[in-house]
Amino acid sequence: MNGVVRVAWRLGTAAVRGRAERPLSQEATGGAEGSGTEGGGGGSGSREAVERLVRAHPVVVFMKGSPAQPLCGFSNAVVQILRLHGVEDYRAHDVLQDPDLRQGIKNYSNWPTIPQVYLNGEFVGGCDILLQMHQNGDLVEELKKLGIRSALLDAEKDQDKK
Amino acid sequence: RSFASQTDGEARVTRVLREKFPRASAIKVVDISGGCGAMYEIHIESEEFREKRTVQQHQMVNQALSEEIKSMHGLRIFTSTPKP
Repeated sequence: MNGVVRVAWRLGTAAVRGRAERPLSQEATGGAEGSGTEGGGGGSGSREAVERLVRAHPVVVFMKGSPAQPLCGFSNAVVQILRLHGVEDYRAHDVLQDPDLRQGIKNYSNWPTIPQVYLNGEFVGGCDILLQMHQNGDLVEELKKLGIRSALLDAEKDQDKK
Repeated sequence: RSFASQTDGEARVTRVLREKFPRASAIKVVDISGGCGAMYEIHIESEEFREKRTVQQHQMVNQALSEEIKSMHGLRIFTSTPKP
């Protein structure tokens, strides 16, 4: 595993343990924050609102914190992996800032955890899947389909020159 | 850690996975929250995952553990298929 991402894991478990995180069950029922399960009527967690967000850009990430300051080790890992591929232009949404979106995105993808990565409006997975795609070369291929040339291809070329 | 020192949470999650994935050839569940039951790492190898995209494989695990997941803060899933 790349050294940068390995550091992210160590930060990850410690960072998550240190925070007062809600268990996934409260999030599943929506709690008092207003459930995102009512699809219509607007609201940042509604199906329509989420659909608009995931289609707004080829690469959309729902995470905790921001790319400049991730607040979770797994969200950080996603940011780091994208950075390794030279992908700095993407839409990142901080679910900690919007409880309706936090619940809505989980309803939309039927996936219980954050971060969530969408490529071309399609849910790809969380950080474990993105890491796997990075390691097996799939991420370079998927980015190519979006018209994004991974920086790692240029890195390889430089190595070949030597 | 040896098998004998498996936590209750690990044992429960393993049991549910065995029931929901009868064709699984390997299941490993590790509590990575220091025994608190807050976060698990799950490795599962099964024929049932063959020909499915990784995200679909993970969804199958999510569905299987939907009850258990409610009380977790997070989980990591690693799925695979047995060598043919």
